[in-house]
Amino acid sequence: MIEGSLTDPSLTIKKRVPLCWRIYMTQGEFLDTVLPFKDKLYRLARRILVSTDEAEDAVQEVYLKLWKNKRSIKNYKNPEAFAVTMTKNYCLDRLKSKQAGNLKIVHSNYAHSQNVAREIEANDGVALVFKIMETLPEQQKIVLQLRDVEQFEFAEIAKMLDNNETAIRVALSRARKTVREQLIQYNNYGIS
Amino acid sequence: MELAKIEQLLEAYFEGNTTLQEEATLRSYFSSAEVAPHLQQYQLMFASFAKAQTESFTRDIVLPKEHKTTSRLWIGIAASLLVAVGVFGFFNQEPSLTAEEKEAIAAFEKTREAFKMMSQNFNEGAEELAYIQNFKETKNKILK
Repeated sequence: MIEGSLTDPSLTIKKRVPLCWRIYMTQGEFLDTVLPFKDKLYRLARRILVSTDEAEDAVQEVYLKLWKNKRSIKNYKNPEAFAVTMTKNYCLDRLKSKQAGNLKIVHSNYAHSQNVAREIEANDGVALVFKIMETLPEQQKIVLQLRDVEQFEFAEIAKMLDNNETAIRVALSRARKTVREQLIQYNNYGIS
Repeated sequence: MELAKIEQLLEAYFEGNTTLQEEATLRSYFSSAEVAPHLQQYQLMFASFAKAQTESFTRDIVLPKEHKTTSRLWIGIAASLLVAVGVFGFFNQEPSLTAEEKEAIAAFEKTREAFKMMSQNFNEGAEELAYIQNFKETKNKILK
Protein backbone atom coordinates (compact mmCIF):
# COMPACT_ATOMS: atom_id res chain seq x y z
CA MET A 1 0.00 0.00 0.00
CA ILE A 2 2.77 2.45 0.85
CA GLU A 3 4.73 1.38 -2.21
CA GLY A 4 1.65 1.90 -4.32
CA SER A 5 1.24 5.43 -3.11
CA LEU A 6 4.86 6.17 -3.89
CA THR A 7 4.76 4.92 -7.46
CA ASP A 8 1.27 6.06 -8.39
CA PRO A 9 1.63 9.75 -9.37
CA SER A 10 -2.05 10.52 -8.88
CA LEU A 11 -1.86 9.50 -5.26
CA THR A 12 1.22 11.55 -4.48
CA ILE A 13 -0.32 14.62 -6.07
CA LYS A 14 -3.49 14.12 -4.10
CA LYS A 15 -1.48 14.04 -0.90
CA ARG A 16 0.00 17.45 -1.59
CA VAL A 17 -3.36 19.20 -1.50
CA PRO A 18 -3.47 20.71 2.00
CA LEU A 19 -6.05 18.98 4.11
CA CYS A 20 -7.19 22.21 5.70
CA TRP A 21 -8.83 23.18 2.42
CA ARG A 22 -11.43 20.54 2.84
CA ILE A 23 -13.96 19.85 5.55
CA TYR A 24 -13.70 16.11 5.32
CA MET A 25 -10.76 13.78 5.24
CA THR A 26 -11.38 10.75 3.08
CA GLN A 27 -10.94 7.34 4.62
CA GLY A 28 -7.91 6.76 2.40
CA GLU A 29 -6.20 9.91 3.59
CA PHE A 30 -7.06 9.07 7.15
CA LEU A 31 -5.53 5.62 6.86
CA ASP A 32 -2.44 7.05 5.16
CA THR A 33 -2.00 9.30 8.18
CA VAL A 34 -2.66 6.84 10.97
CA LEU A 35 -1.82 3.36 9.69
CA PRO A 36 1.97 3.77 9.69
CA PHE A 37 2.03 3.64 13.48
CA LYS A 38 -0.50 0.85 14.08
CA ASP A 39 2.23 -1.56 15.17
CA LYS A 40 3.58 0.87 17.74
CA LEU A 41 0.11 1.35 19.18
CA TYR A 42 -0.43 -2.38 19.23
CA ARG A 43 2.85 -3.08 21.03
CA LEU A 44 2.11 -0.41 23.61
CA ALA A 45 -1.37 -1.86 24.18
CA ARG A 46 0.17 -5.29 24.43
CA ARG A 47 2.65 -4.12 27.09
CA ILE A 48 -0.12 -2.63 29.19
CA LEU A 49 -2.87 -5.19 28.69
CA VAL A 50 -0.61 -8.25 28.14
CA SER A 51 -3.27 -10.20 26.26
CA THR A 52 -2.90 -10.07 22.47
CA ASP A 53 -6.67 -10.18 21.96
CA GLU A 54 -7.28 -7.27 24.25
CA ALA A 55 -4.42 -5.34 22.71
CA GLU A 56 -5.92 -5.84 19.26
CA ASP A 57 -9.33 -4.75 20.49
CA ALA A 58 -7.75 -1.68 22.02
CA VAL A 59 -6.04 -0.69 18.78
CA GLN A 60 -9.28 -1.15 16.85
CA GLU A 61 -11.09 0.97 19.43
CA VAL A 62 -8.44 3.71 19.28
CA TYR A 63 -8.67 3.82 15.48
CA LEU A 64 -12.44 4.16 15.68
CA LYS A 65 -12.04 7.06 18.06
CA LEU A 66 -9.43 8.64 15.81
CA TRP A 67 -11.77 8.25 12.84
CA LYS A 68 -14.57 9.97 14.73
CA ASN A 69 -12.14 12.78 15.53
CA LYS A 70 -10.75 12.94 12.03
CA ARG A 71 -11.72 16.56 11.66
CA SER A 72 -9.39 17.49 14.48
CA ILE A 73 -6.58 15.07 13.66
CA LYS A 74 -5.26 17.27 10.87
CA ASN A 75 -4.86 20.07 13.38
CA TYR A 76 -2.46 18.06 15.46
CA LYS A 77 1.15 18.64 14.60
CA ASN A 78 1.99 15.06 15.50
CA PRO A 79 -0.86 12.58 14.99
CA GLU A 80 1.40 9.76 16.12
CA ALA A 81 2.01 11.24 19.56
CA PHE A 82 -1.70 11.95 19.84
CA ALA A 83 -2.55 8.36 18.97
CA VAL A 84 0.00 7.02 21.47
CA THR A 85 -1.52 9.14 24.23
CA MET A 86 -4.98 7.92 23.29
CA THR A 87 -3.86 4.29 23.30
CA LYS A 88 -2.17 4.67 26.67
CA ASN A 89 -5.24 6.28 28.22
CA TYR A 90 -7.59 3.74 26.70
CA CYS A 91 -5.53 0.78 27.93
CA LEU A 92 -5.13 2.18 31.43
CA ASP A 93 -8.90 2.75 31.57
CA ARG A 94 -9.44 -0.84 30.46
CA LEU A 95 -7.14 -2.05 33.22
CA LYS A 96 -8.95 0.05 35.79
CA SER A 97 -12.40 -1.16 34.80
CA LYS A 98 -11.13 -4.72 34.76
CA GLN A 99 -9.79 -4.39 38.27
CA ALA A 100 -12.94 -2.60 39.42
CA GLY A 101 -15.09 -5.46 38.14
CA ASN A 102 -15.34 -8.77 39.94
CA LEU A 103 -12.44 -10.21 38.06
CA LYS A 104 -10.23 -10.45 41.10
CA ILE A 105 -10.48 -14.19 41.44
CA VAL A 106 -9.80 -14.68 37.76
CA HIS A 107 -6.88 -12.32 38.08
CA SER A 108 -5.25 -14.16 40.96
CA ASN A 109 -5.70 -17.40 39.07
CA TYR A 110 -3.99 -15.81 36.17
CA ALA A 111 -1.10 -14.61 38.32
CA HIS A 112 -0.66 -18.11 39.60
CA SER A 113 -0.56 -19.66 36.18
CA GLN A 114 1.81 -16.90 35.15
CA ASN A 115 4.40 -18.19 37.59
CA VAL A 116 4.07 -21.63 36.11
CA ALA A 117 4.49 -20.15 32.67
CA ARG A 118 7.57 -18.36 33.88
CA GLU A 119 9.17 -21.62 34.88
CA ILE A 120 8.23 -23.33 31.67
CA GLU A 121 9.68 -20.52 29.61
CA ALA A 122 12.82 -20.39 31.71
CA ASN A 123 15.08 -21.18 28.80
CA ASP A 124 13.51 -18.51 26.63
CA GLY A 125 15.43 -15.42 27.71
CA VAL A 126 13.43 -12.98 25.63
CA ALA A 127 10.17 -14.17 27.11
CA LEU A 128 11.75 -13.76 30.53
CA VAL A 129 12.51 -10.10 29.87
CA PHE A 130 8.90 -9.59 28.74
CA LYS A 131 7.65 -11.21 31.93
CA ILE A 132 9.86 -8.92 33.98
CA MET A 133 8.51 -5.94 32.05
CA GLU A 134 4.98 -7.05 32.93
CA THR A 135 5.75 -6.71 36.62
CA LEU A 136 6.91 -3.08 36.34
CA PRO A 137 4.62 -0.25 37.47
CA GLU A 138 2.49 1.01 34.57
CA GLN A 139 4.29 4.30 34.10
CA GLN A 140 7.73 2.65 34.02
CA LYS A 141 6.48 -0.05 31.72
CA ILE A 142 5.12 2.52 29.28
CA VAL A 143 8.26 4.66 29.38
CA LEU A 144 10.50 1.64 28.83
CA GLN A 145 8.36 0.53 25.91
CA LEU A 146 8.32 3.97 24.28
CA ARG A 147 12.05 4.53 24.73
CA ASP A 148 13.84 1.20 24.44
CA VAL A 149 11.48 -0.49 22.02
CA GLU A 150 10.02 2.37 19.98
CA GLN A 151 12.98 4.72 20.40
CA PHE A 152 11.12 7.98 20.83
CA GLU A 153 12.91 11.14 21.96
CA PHE A 154 12.51 12.15 25.59
CA ALA A 155 10.69 15.31 24.54
CA GLU A 156 8.17 13.23 22.56
CA ILE A 157 7.60 10.80 25.40
CA ALA A 158 7.16 13.67 27.85
CA LYS A 159 4.48 15.12 25.57
CA MET A 160 2.74 11.79 25.06
CA LEU A 161 2.58 11.10 28.77
CA ASP A 162 1.92 14.71 29.73
CA ASN A 163 4.92 14.80 32.02
CA ASN A 164 8.33 16.50 32.12
CA GLU A 165 11.52 15.04 30.73
CA THR A 166 13.17 14.64 34.14
CA ALA A 167 10.32 12.49 35.41
CA ILE A 168 10.53 10.40 32.24
CA ARG A 169 14.27 9.88 32.69
CA VAL A 170 13.81 8.88 36.32
CA ALA A 171 11.07 6.37 35.48
CA LEU A 172 13.16 4.99 32.64
CA SER A 173 16.24 4.62 34.82
CA ARG A 174 14.21 2.75 37.45
CA ALA A 175 12.68 0.48 34.84
CA ARG A 176 16.02 -0.36 33.25
CA LYS A 177 17.62 -1.04 36.63
CA THR A 178 14.73 -3.25 37.72
CA VAL A 179 14.99 -5.32 34.56
CA ARG A 180 18.74 -5.67 35.11
CA GLU A 181 18.38 -6.67 38.75
CA GLN A 182 15.63 -9.16 38.03
CA LEU A 183 17.69 -10.72 35.28
CA ILE A 184 20.72 -11.04 37.55
CA GLN A 185 18.56 -12.49 40.31
CA TYR A 186 17.03 -14.94 37.91
CA ASN A 187 20.43 -16.00 36.58
CA ASN A 188 21.70 -16.56 40.11
CA TYR A 189 18.72 -18.80 40.90
CA GLY A 190 19.25 -20.59 37.64
CA ILE A 191 22.83 -21.39 38.45
CA SER A 192 22.38 -22.44 42.09
CA MET B 1 34.26 0.58 19.74
CA GLU B 2 36.50 0.49 22.81
CA LEU B 3 35.25 -1.38 25.79
CA ALA B 4 35.74 1.54 28.18
CA LYS B 5 33.43 3.67 26.06
CA ILE B 6 30.77 0.96 26.06
CA GLU B 7 31.01 0.56 29.83
CA GLN B 8 30.65 4.30 30.22
CA LEU B 9 27.63 4.40 27.92
CA LEU B 10 26.08 1.48 29.75
CA GLU B 11 26.38 3.28 33.05
CA ALA B 12 24.74 6.38 31.59
CA TYR B 13 22.10 4.13 30.05
CA PHE B 14 20.97 2.81 33.41
CA GLU B 15 20.79 6.35 34.73
CA GLY B 16 18.53 7.35 31.85
CA ASN B 17 21.14 9.73 30.52
CA THR B 18 21.90 8.40 27.05
CA THR B 19 20.77 9.91 23.78
CA LEU B 20 19.02 7.87 21.10
CA GLN B 21 22.26 7.82 19.16
CA GLU B 22 24.23 6.45 22.10
CA GLU B 23 21.57 3.83 22.67
CA ALA B 24 21.88 2.82 19.03
CA THR B 25 25.62 2.38 19.62
CA LEU B 26 24.89 0.13 22.58
CA ARG B 27 22.35 -1.87 20.58
CA SER B 28 24.76 -2.47 17.73
CA TYR B 29 27.50 -3.45 20.18
CA PHE B 30 25.30 -5.99 21.94
CA SER B 31 23.99 -7.41 18.68
CA SER B 32 27.57 -8.01 17.51
CA ALA B 33 29.38 -11.29 18.05
CA GLU B 34 32.16 -9.81 20.17
CA VAL B 35 30.58 -8.90 23.47
CA ALA B 36 32.98 -8.88 26.41
CA PRO B 37 32.18 -11.77 28.81
CA HIS B 38 31.37 -9.54 31.79
CA LEU B 39 28.89 -7.57 29.68
CA GLN B 40 27.09 -10.59 28.27
CA GLN B 41 24.44 -10.39 30.98
CA TYR B 42 23.11 -7.22 29.28
CA GLN B 43 22.90 -8.83 25.89
CA LEU B 44 19.54 -10.42 26.64
CA MET B 45 18.00 -7.09 27.56
CA PHE B 46 18.89 -5.44 24.27
CA ALA B 47 18.00 -8.55 22.31
CA SER B 48 14.57 -8.59 23.94
CA PHE B 49 13.88 -4.95 23.11
CA ALA B 50 14.85 -5.61 19.51
CA LYS B 51 12.56 -8.64 19.47
CA ALA B 52 9.72 -6.62 20.95
CA GLN B 53 10.02 -4.19 18.07
CA THR B 54 9.20 -6.87 15.53
CA GLU B 55 5.71 -7.54 16.87
CA SER B 56 3.05 -6.23 14.52
CA PHE B 57 -0.67 -5.70 14.37
CA THR B 58 -2.09 -8.18 11.91
CA ARG B 59 -5.82 -7.71 12.28
CA ASP B 60 -7.70 -5.50 9.82
CA ILE B 61 -8.93 -2.22 11.16
CA VAL B 62 -12.67 -1.85 10.67
CA LEU B 63 -13.97 1.64 10.13
CA PRO B 64 -17.59 2.64 9.55
CA LYS B 65 -18.58 3.03 5.90
CA GLU B 66 -17.54 6.43 4.68
CA HIS B 67 -20.74 7.43 2.85
CA LYS B 68 -22.59 7.55 6.12
CA THR B 69 -21.08 10.90 6.93
CA THR B 70 -19.92 12.34 3.62
CA SER B 71 -22.81 11.47 1.35
CA ARG B 72 -25.33 12.55 3.95
CA LEU B 73 -23.89 16.03 3.58
CA TRP B 74 -24.26 15.88 -0.20
CA ILE B 75 -27.79 14.54 0.02
CA GLY B 76 -28.59 17.44 2.31
CA ILE B 77 -27.11 19.98 -0.08
CA ALA B 78 -28.92 18.39 -3.04
CA ALA B 79 -32.25 18.35 -1.19
CA SER B 80 -32.03 21.98 -0.15
CA LEU B 81 -31.03 22.99 -3.69
CA LEU B 82 -34.03 21.15 -5.04
CA VAL B 83 -36.34 22.92 -2.62
CA ALA B 84 -34.79 26.29 -3.48
CA VAL B 85 -35.21 25.69 -7.21
CA GLY B 86 -38.78 24.53 -6.64
CA VAL B 87 -39.73 27.60 -4.63
CA PHE B 88 -38.05 29.93 -7.14
CA GLY B 89 -39.83 28.23 -10.00
CA PHE B 90 -43.18 28.33 -8.25
CA PHE B 91 -43.10 32.09 -7.84
CA ASN B 92 -41.79 32.76 -11.32
CA GLN B 93 -43.93 30.42 -13.36
CA GLU B 94 -46.22 31.76 -16.12
CA PRO B 95 -49.76 30.86 -15.25
CA SER B 96 -50.65 27.94 -17.45
CA LEU B 97 -53.99 28.31 -19.21
CA THR B 98 -56.46 25.96 -20.74
CA ALA B 99 -57.55 26.42 -24.36
CA GLU B 100 -60.87 27.91 -23.24
CA GLU B 101 -59.18 30.49 -21.03
CA LYS B 102 -56.87 31.44 -23.89
CA GLU B 103 -59.85 31.92 -26.15
CA ALA B 104 -61.51 34.04 -23.53
CA ILE B 105 -58.46 36.20 -23.18
CA ALA B 106 -58.19 36.57 -26.96
CA ALA B 107 -61.83 37.55 -27.11
CA PHE B 108 -61.30 40.03 -24.31
CA GLU B 109 -58.36 41.57 -26.16
CA LYS B 110 -60.38 41.86 -29.33
CA THR B 111 -63.30 43.41 -27.52
CA ARG B 112 -61.01 45.87 -25.86
CA GLU B 113 -59.52 46.77 -29.20
CA ALA B 114 -62.98 47.26 -30.61
CA PHE B 115 -63.99 49.44 -27.67
CA LYS B 116 -60.81 51.44 -28.07
CA MET B 117 -61.53 52.04 -31.71
CA MET B 118 -65.06 53.00 -30.92
CA SER B 119 -64.02 55.45 -28.28
CA GLN B 120 -61.47 56.91 -30.63
CA ASN B 121 -64.05 57.44 -33.30
CA PHE B 122 -66.39 58.81 -30.74
CA ASN B 123 -63.75 61.26 -29.55
CA GLU B 124 -63.15 62.37 -33.12
CA GLY B 125 -66.86 62.89 -33.48
CA ALA B 126 -66.89 64.83 -30.26
CA GLU B 127 -64.14 67.09 -31.55
CA GLU B 128 -66.27 67.87 -34.58
CA LEU B 129 -68.96 68.95 -32.15
CA ALA B 130 -66.69 71.83 -31.11
CA TYR B 131 -67.88 73.60 -34.22
CA ILE B 132 -71.36 73.51 -32.83
CA GLN B 133 -70.07 75.49 -29.88
CA ASN B 134 -68.59 78.06 -32.35
CA PHE B 135 -71.81 78.12 -34.18
CA LYS B 136 -73.65 78.78 -30.94
CA GLU B 137 -71.36 81.64 -29.98
CA THR B 138 -71.64 83.30 -33.38
CA LYS B 139 -75.38 82.85 -33.27
CA ASN B 140 -75.50 84.59 -29.88
CA LYS B 141 -73.39 87.48 -31.18
CA ILE B 142 -75.70 88.02 -34.04
CA LEU B 143 -78.95 87.44 -32.27
CA LYS B 144 -78.10 88.79 -28.81
